[in-house]
Amino acid sequence: MAKKRYPETKILSKNFDKENSWTFDVARENGAYTMFEKALKEMTPDQVIEEVKTSRLRGRGGAGFPTGVKWSFVPKDVDKPKYLALNADESEPGTFKDRWLMELDPHMVLEGCLICAYATGLSTIYIYVRGEYPLSQERLWGAIREAEEKGFLGENIQGSGFSCNAYVHTGAGAYICGEETGLLESLEGKRGHPRIKPPFPAVEGAFGCPTVINNVETLAHVPWIIEHGGEAFAKQGIAPDPDNPRSNGSTGTKLFGVSGDIKTPGCWEFEFGITVKELLYDYAGGPLDGREIKAVIPGGLSMPVLTADELDVPMGFDDLVKVGSGLGTACAIVMDDTCCMVEASENIAHFFADESCGQCTPCREGCHWMEKIFKKFNANQGTRSDLDLLEGLFVNIEGRTICALADAAVWPLRSIIRKFRHEFVAKMTPEEQAAEKEAQAEKARETAGVS
Amino acid sequence: MPTIKINGRDLEYEPGETVIQVAHRNGIDVAHYCYHPSMSPEGNCRICMVEVEGWPKPVVSCKQLCGENMAVQTESELAQSARAGTMEMLLVNHPLDCPICDQAGECHLQEYSYELGHGESRSTTPKTHLPKNVPFGEEIVYDAERCIKCTLCVRFCNEITKTGELAMANRSDNEQVVMTSKGEFTTNYSMNIVDLCPVGALTSRDFRFKSRLWFMDFTPSLCTGCARGCNVTIGGRGGRFMRMEPRENQDVNQWWMCDPGRLGYGHVNSETRLATPAVRDANGQWQPATFEQAIVAASAALKDARESHDVLLDGGATLEELEAARALASAMGGQARFAAATGDDADEFLIVNEKGANAKGAEMLGLERQADAAPAAVLVVERDGNVPAALRDGAGAVVAFVTDATNVPDSVRVAFPYGSWAERSGLLVNVDGRVQELRAARQVGPGNLSPAFALMEELTGELDGNHVPRDRGELVAAVKNEKAFAEVAFPAGVAAGQTVGAGS
Amino acid sequence: MSATPPRAPAAAPKDVEARQPAPTPVAFPPAALKDECEAILSRYPTRQAALIPILLLAQGHYDNWVSPEVEAGVAEYIGVSDSHVRGVLSFYSMFNLKPAGKHEVWVCRTLTCWLRGAAKLRDTALEKAQAERAGVVGEDGKFLVKNMECLGLCEVAPAVFVDGVAHTNVTNEKLVELMDACE
Ligand SMILES: Cc1cc2nc3c(=O)[nH]c(=O)nc-3n(C[C@H](O)[C@H](O)[C@H](O)COP(=O)(O)O)c2cc1C
Ligand code: SF4
Ligand code: SF4
Ligand code: SF4
Ligand code: FES
Ligand code: FES
Repeated sequence: MAKKRYPETKILSKNFDKENSWTFDVARENGAYTMFEKALKEMTPDQVIEEVKTSRLRGRGGAGFPTGVKWSFVPKDVDKPKYLALNADESEPGTFKDRWLMELDPHMVLEGCLICAYATGLSTIYIYVRGEYPLSQERLWGAIREAEEKGFLGENIQGSGFSCNAYVHTGAGAYICGEETGLLESLEGKRGHPRIKPPFPAVEGAFGCPTVINNVETLAHVPWIIEHGGEAFAKQGIAPDPDNPRSNGSTGTKLFGVSGDIKTPGCWEFEFGITVKELLYDYAGGPLDGREIKAVIPGGLSMPVLTADELDVPMGFDDLVKVGSGLGTACAIVMDDTCCMVEASENIAHFFADESCGQCTPCREGCHWMEKIFKKFNANQGTRSDLDLLEGLFVNIEGRTICALADAAVWPLRSIIRKFRHEFVAKMTPEEQAAEKEAQAEKARETAGVS
Repeated sequence: MPTIKINGRDLEYEPGETVIQVAHRNGIDVAHYCYHPSMSPEGNCRICMVEVEGWPKPVVSCKQLCGENMAVQTESELAQSARAGTMEMLLVNHPLDCPICDQAGECHLQEYSYELGHGESRSTTPKTHLPKNVPFGEEIVYDAERCIKCTLCVRFCNEITKTGELAMANRSDNEQVVMTSKGEFTTNYSMNIVDLCPVGALTSRDFRFKSRLWFMDFTPSLCTGCARGCNVTIGGRGGRFMRMEPRENQDVNQWWMCDPGRLGYGHVNSETRLATPAVRDANGQWQPATFEQAIVAASAALKDARESHDVLLDGGATLEELEAARALASAMGGQARFAAATGDDADEFLIVNEKGANAKGAEMLGLERQADAAPAAVLVVERDGNVPAALRDGAGAVVAFVTDATNVPDSVRVAFPYGSWAERSGLLVNVDGRVQELRAARQVGPGNLSPAFALMEELTGELDGNHVPRDRGELVAAVKNEKAFAEVAFPAGVAAGQTVGAGS
Repeated sequence: MSATPPRAPAAAPKDVEARQPAPTPVAFPPAALKDECEAILSRYPTRQAALIPILLLAQGHYDNWVSPEVEAGVAEYIGVSDSHVRGVLSFYSMFNLKPAGKHEVWVCRTLTCWLRGAAKLRDTALEKAQAERAGVVGEDGKFLVKNMECLGLCEVAPAVFVDGVAHTNVTNEKLVELMDACE
C-alpha cells in the first residue's frame, strides 16, 4: 500500500502560484496588511509580543532563537532610535527559501516587518538583501513604494499615530554579513566583521541603538500568528519535548528546500514533522536515475551530514540535533554515489576559508589549513596522521572564535571524515593505505580476541 | 567592591572591567596580542582565552567582563590548550625565520611560542604568501606575512591619533593592513605602531636590521625633543645611539612618543663629535688636552675675558648644570642665561612648542631666556635648534661645552666635549613642572665624558678660591632649596650626596 | 627656526617596494549619480552607512570597477579615509579593484553547483575568456570570470550570472552561447 504523502500546508507560500503575486493589488486581495491593521487598531505592542511568544515561533535564520523572547529584550523607554534589520542576506549555500518569499510575496515580508516594528516600537526598517539578489531587491523596493502609496508605510500610518519607514540595503557579496553582527557592521558601512556579544543587538545594535534582527521567513510568519493566534501556530508542527524543559519544539510551518544530486530540486512548505526521507523522495523526486543517495546536509552547508541510513528523521530543530546534525536553514543538499566525499570536503572547506572574515586567528588560519589538507588528499598524498591532525584542528577551531562561522566549518567536515573515512583512506599514499589496512586488521583481531 | 575569583584568588573589580584588566592589575600574567589598555578590545587574536568554571567554552579575557561569582582559571588545562591551539594557528603561515627577523628578541609570538608551542609544526602543507616589503609612509615597512592581523596599528590610527591612515583589507587569510593611497601619515605619532606591533610585521626603516637586540644595552631615560619630556628607553651599542622607544608614564606620555622626537638623534651619532677637550695653542691651532689641562686653560681664558662674564646654556641643560653654571657665572661676576627654540607644531597630544627640555627648570631657577645674540664668556650647546648659529657665534665666548666639533665658534679658546642628552644624567623640569630624571644611556656616545656640571664646578673653584666643588647630590640639594622648588616633588632616589642614574 | 628636532636621514633599504604616487580623486558624485547618492545618504543616520550602496553605484558608473581615483573621490564624499574604503571594497566579492573587462561572468563554485557540474562551466568560461585563472581579465580584455560562492539559485543549479543577469540550469553549451552573445 502506498504510504500517504506528508501534506503541504501553504501559509507562507499561499500566494506563490498566483499571477503577479508580488504586486500590492494581488497581495491585498489575499489579505495583505489586514493583520498589520488589526495589530495597530486592536492590540497593544505587548499583546503582539505575547502572541508571538505563545506561538513558540523560532528564528528561521539558522539559530532557532524564540522570536517573541528576542523582541521582549528590546528596551522600551530609551531616547535612542530603534531599528529593525531584516536579515535577507541568505548566503547559506543550498538555501533559497527567503529569495522565494521576497520575489513572490514581498508584501507578506513587509507586513511581518511592520508588525514587528509596531510591537517593539521602532520606526526604521532596513532590509539587508545580499547583492546577488537583484530581483529580490527590485520586488522589495516595489513593495515599499506601493505600501507607501497606500499609506501602510510612512508617517502616521492609517491614522494610528504610528510611523515607520523601510529601506532596502544592498550587500556586496560576503557570506559573513548574514551573521547578525557582521550584518550590522556592514549596514554601518564597514567590513562585515562580526562583533563579540554581549552587548546583544537588541540592546546595542545598528548605530549603537537597540536593533531587532530577524530572518525574512521568521517575520513572514507573523501575520498568520496575529490572524489565528499564537496557540494555533503552536499546535502546528512538533510540540516541545515534554521530557526536556528547555525544548521549544518546532512549531508552525516552514519552507523546506532541496538541491544537489536530486531529481526535482525545489522548495515546499510543510508543518514541521516531515522526515528528511519523505522530503527527498516524496517531493524532491528521489535520486537521479541509476544513482543512490550517499549523504545529505539537512540545512545549508553548515550542519553535519546524514548518511543514507540516517534519513528517517523529522526535519525539526531538536530532532535533528538528537541525531547529531541540525536543522540549519532547512534547505537540504544531497550528494549521491557519484560524489567523492574528499572532493566535496575540499569544496566545503574552500567555501568557509574563502568566506572567513579573517579576524579571528583559528578561523582565518584554520579554515585554510583544513582546505590545504583536503587538497593534499585529493592529490593522493594523504596520510593517517593528516586525519588525526584534522581532528586536532577541529578542536582548536570549534568554540574558539567570535562568531559561529568557524563552528559551521567544522561540523560538516568532521562528520564527513568520520562517516566516510574509507574514502579518505583511498586517497592516501600506498604506504599509508597499507598501514591503515594493517591497523584495521589489528583492531579486528583485538576485537575478535576480546569476544 | 564586587570580587571575582582568578586562579583561586578573590580580586576586587570595578563594574565594567574585563578579566584581563583585573588579572594584570594583580600581577597575573595573561598572554595577549590584540589587547592594549589604551584601545577598545577586539578580541580577535584569541590568545588570551581563559576558562570560566562551569562555562563550556573558553572566553577571551580581554573582552570578558568580570561578573560576581565568576571563577576564572588562566592556567587550567582548557585555558592552556586553547592558547596552544591559537598559537599553532598563528604560526602555520608565519614565516618563522626568526634569525632574520627584526623583532627577534622582543617578539611576543616567539616568546609565547617557546612557552606554549608545539615545538615542531604539525603543518604538512605549504604556507600562504603575502606582500613582504610594503612601505607605510617614509619611516615604516610592513610585512603582511609576519602580521598576525591583531589590528592594533589600525586601531591606533583610528582611536588614538584619529587620523585613520590604516585599514584592514581583503578577508580570510588574505587579510592584511593597507595604507591610505596618499602614502603619508598625517600624524606625527606613526612610529608608535612599530612598538605596538606584537610581532615583526612593522619595522622602522631607521632601525631596520641595524642591530640585533641582544647586542644592545637599554637605559630608561627621557626624550628632550621638546619640553613634554616623554619617558623613553634608549638603546645603544658600541657608542652609537640605536633607537629610542617610549616607556609608559600615564602622567606624561602614556605609552607614546612623537616621530620627530624619536628620530631626533642625528647629532648623537655625528661623525664630528667632539670627543676630548681641546685647547688652542699659541698659533691658534687646536690641540687635544686632558681635562685637567683644559680646566687650567679655561680658567685662564675666563680671567682674561673682558667683553662678558655670562654663561649661555642650551635650554636642554639639566638642573644640575644650571645650578653649576649659576655658580660659575657669579664667580665671574656675570649671570647665567638660557636659549631654547620655540616651535609652532604643538598639538593636542604630546608635542609642545617649547623645545627647551628644561626651559621650565631654567625659568624656575630665575635664568633669563635669551632670544637675540648677546655676549657671553661660556657657552653650553647641545642642539643647534636651541642655540642657533647666530646666538652661538655672536656670543664671542672663550670657553665652550659643545657636542659637535663643528659647533665651536672662532672666538673659543678652550672646548669641552659635552654629552648629548642621551649621554648625560640629571634632572629636567617638563612643561607641566614635573621633575624627571635623564639617565646617561649605556653604550651611547664617545665615552669618557666628564659631566659638564662637575667641570663647571671645578672651573668655579679655579676662579673662586672659596668655592668647594659640589657633587651632584649637593647641586640637587641647592636646587631644592630654591623657593620656586619648595613645593616640587623630586624623583625618588635623587637625594643629597647620592649619585643616581645609570651610567653617571 | 626648525620647529622640530633634526631628523636622522631615513635609510632606504633596496628591498622595500617603491611607493605609488597618490591618485587624484575624481569629482564625486558625477552629475548622473548626484540625486541617487543624496537619496541613499538620506536613509541613514550616518554618512558612512551609505558607503556600500554608493560604491556599488559608483562601480556601475565607472566601467564596472573602482579605481584608486574613484575610491579616493568616494572617500572624500563620504568623509572617511580612502584606506577604509579600500578595506571595504576588498572585503566584498562584488567589487572589482582592477579594470574588469567588458563583461563580467560569475560562475558559482559552491557545493550544489559543483555537484551539478560547475567546475566544467568554470573551465569553459575561462577558456572562452582566455584567462589564466578566475579573477583576472582575459587576454583580449573582454571577459572577467569570477568564481563566486553560492548565488542562492541552488534549486536551479548550476547558476551563472552574466553582467548581473542570472542564468540557471546552465549547461556548457548554454554558457558558450551566453558568452558568444556578448558584444
Ligand atoms: C556565518 C553565519 C551566517 C549566517 N547567515 C544568515 C543568513 O544568511 N540569513 C539569516 O537569516 N541568518 C543568518 N545567520 C543567523 C543570524 O546570525 C541570526 O541568527 C538570524 O538572522 C536571526 O534571525 P532569526 O532569529 O529570525 O533566525 C547566520 C549566522 C552565521 C553564524
Ligand atoms: S569566526 Fe571567522 S568569520 Fe567569524 S568572526 Fe571569526 S574570523 Fe570572522
Ligand atoms: S602590522 Fe602588527 S600591529 Fe598591525 S595588525 Fe599586523 S601584527 Fe597587528
Ligand atoms: S613630544 Fe616632545 S618629548 Fe615627547 S617624544 Fe616628541 S619631542 Fe620628545
Ligand atoms: S588579547 Fe584577547 S583576543 Fe587578543
Ligand atoms: S551552490 Fe550555486 S547557487 Fe547555491
